[in-house]
Amino acid sequence: MTSPNGLVCFTNCLLPQEDGSLVEKDLWIDESRGVILDAQRTFFLRKERPARIVDLGGNILSPGFIDVQINGGYGFDFSVYDGDDDAYRAGMKTVAERIIETGVTSLVPTIITQESALYPKLLQLLRPFSTPASATLLGWHAEGPFLDFNKRGAHAHPFLLKAENGVKTFEEVYGAENLAEAEDWLMSEDHSVGVRMITAAPEIEGVMKGISTLSKRGIVFSIGHSVATSQIATSAVVKGARLITHLFNAMPQLHHRDPSIIGLLGASPHLASQFTPVMSHSLNPRQEIEATTAADMAAEQPATVGSEAFDNIVTPPQTPLFAENHSGSPASNSGGNTTPVSQGRPVTWSELNLKKGHTVHMGFERPFYGMIVDGIHSHPNSVRLAYSAYPEGCILITDAMKILDPNLRDGVHEWRDGKRFVKEGDKLYLEGTTTLAGSVVTMDTCVRNFSRFTGCSLGEAIKCATYNPAKCLGIEKSKGTLRPGAHADLVVLDRHGIVLNTWVRGKEAWARSK
Amino acid sequence: MRLIIRDDPAAVGDYIASYICKRINGFKPTQEKPFVLGLPTGSSPIPTYKRLIKFVKEGELSFKNVVTFNMDEYVGLPQDHPESYHTFMFREFFSHVDIPPSQVNILNGNAEDLVGECKAYEAKIKSYGGIELFLGGIGEDGHIAFNEPGSSLSSRTRIKTLAYDTILANARFFNNDISAVPRMALTVGVATVLDSREVVTVVTGLRKALALSKAIEEGVNHLWTLSALQLHPWALIVADEDATAELHVKTVKYFKSIERVQEEVERSQELLKAKEGTPQQVGSME
Repeated sequence: MTSPNGLVCFTNCLLPQEDGSLVEKDLWIDESRGVILDAQRTFFLRKERPARIVDLGGNILSPGFIDVQINGGYGFDFSVYDGDDDAYRAGMKTVAERIIETGVTSLVPTIITQESALYPKLLQLLRPFSTPASATLLGWHAEGPFLDFNKRGAHAHPFLLKAENGVKTFEEVYGAENLAEAEDWLMSEDHSVGVRMITAAPEIEGVMKGISTLSKRGIVFSIGHSVATSQIATSAVVKGARLITHLFNAMPQLHHRDPSIIGLLGASPHLASQFTPVMSHSLNPRQEIEATTAADMAAEQPATVGSEAFDNIVTPPQTPLFAENHSGSPASNSGGNTTPVSQGRPVTWSELNLKKGHTVHMGFERPFYGMIVDGIHSHPNSVRLAYSAYPEGCILITDAMKILDPNLRDGVHEWRDGKRFVKEGDKLYLEGTTTLAGSVVTMDTCVRNFSRFTGCSLGEAIKCATYNPAKCLGIEKSKGTLRPGAHADLVVLDRHGIVLNTWVRGKEAWARSK
Repeated sequence: MRLIIRDDPAAVGDYIASYICKRINGFKPTQEKPFVLGLPTGSSPIPTYKRLIKFVKEGELSFKNVVTFNMDEYVGLPQDHPESYHTFMFREFFSHVDIPPSQVNILNGNAEDLVGECKAYEAKIKSYGGIELFLGGIGEDGHIAFNEPGSSLSSRTRIKTLAYDTILANARFFNNDISAVPRMALTVGVATVLDSREVVTVVTGLRKALALSKAIEEGVNHLWTLSALQLHPWALIVADEDATAELHVKTVKYFKSIERVQEEVERSQELLKAKEGTPQQVGSME
């Protein structure tokens, strides 16, 4: 059903706002152009009002969800390329067309660590893609190969690389044209948006050098699969890192003396501006971890299955590495000259802040962080802990594997290489084991889980699946929002957070069968 | 003039909305002969708008054949500013009812030629044969539309400087920054309002009590421009109990007694009309 004048009004609905609130309000869209309208301007200047009115019966009309980390779904794995471009494109199409039943209307296909020769080809194939009734693949997310061996999860360790020559190595691996300043597909035609993301470990040789150049080229740098210390992680953010990949997973656990990557969520304004460049001689966590865990690793099987987000080795020592081995005074180790009293030097500090609820100027913005909210990859308490620390940065991700398919029944299913897995709700085990085989959670489930785990409102949970990821990617003018001019990618949720309908570029593309 | 008193603002809104609904439906408007309605902004008419929207949603009323003229608009405030009367009308009313945008008229406070804009507005009202019913509200100083104290009672649509009281009262909508409040507005004149065949005014809240008493218990006076309604043959004021605080008991009792008589007359006229088929205006009882 189309509207005689091409305009549609959604009424009797709650609209999630960019501040996380839900407001009872109408939404006007132009179904032929596929954009959200400024209703008032349309009325007074265009002198038109929608000829079609859709009564949503008090349900929620949200911007479509955005998944910035998804490995595959519906049997297709973005990381598997067998030399057939058409087959790969068909796989992209399948995922794009079917994922909308989970409320996702934009996703960033994620490539796990590959043989380096494959990258230029894969990234070339992963240009923004959509059909009139499908979700939009926004570009690509390269997770690897510049990852830390100790936190590689399911990433194939023979393919892990260093970036000896900084950006040059990145270009060699990913293909220089894929990292160009202005890739042709990034120059927007018909308001489309393209994004590129790289997850890497900043402590890997050469990676830190590359961050600022990559960031300036509009590539979202995400810290992940890393054992970075607080100092290294902070430096990475200062240089432009915008995101943390699957928080809590594949990174050192929170230690109060050196909270590492997770600690960025609590980055203190006191320290943020004080950081000096990382001193490589005193901080080489790789060496230290290699030394302490060499024995574990020798005995370990190469991981071929299992969630890429999980650690497959014993987590390295919890005590801050540098404090352990460089047994100088605590003050000199914890960030240099930030404790003036103990050093007895006169330091001039600015006056203390007198305004309640007003943080003094931060040296940098805290990074966004992705969380897999399946109740498995992060305990609900951890989810709430992170969200309480920094709600504005929270991004829900599925990190789903190719077996993602909400229609798949529970039970035993064939996988690959003669292996079978057992699906139990959102849990996925290798048959006959208790080994988790990865994430199969859908985004709408993540949203519902998140609201329950944190106690936040449905509107606030939606924000973490819409506006926050869009903002992280820098596309919040066109995706993840209901602002006038944004794409009319919409999802109708009932008050339990169940997806009822999905609209793509102004047209209804999926409806739950009654 | 009639004065209807109801318990609270919501009941006042219900009364006026039902009244307007009855008037529009009784008028049987068509595209050729639309019902011409004058509309106000401000907090007082909101309950009325809410109720009218409900009537439209329930299918009891349609604005398809209604033409509206708004009373006023700030000068120099962008049309989509959150405090512009364009924004107010769209948010509170027009977006929720089925009125075609081409039938909505609001003064353009950003027109290059403001005087020309006002003249054209008057002419446009005339072209529709005048306003059938003007719904109004009042300010604490008794102003109707932006006809501040001291406005000529025979004024027409024009540029008006806002009174200091009004600027102060409106500052709350502009982050309490008095300097951000527009100082000028375009507004229909007192005579424009008086020209309409019927005037209905909402007066609610204790803060409007003095203005109501000045408007109906004292003489016609340009310092309380609402008092000009005393010269109108078909005027109705609907107030809540709070707004009657400054009125004499005698005044209140008198108007309450009129209400009953009015209802009886309206009923008998209705029967007559049904029998003879000649539409007859009831007008206002005194």
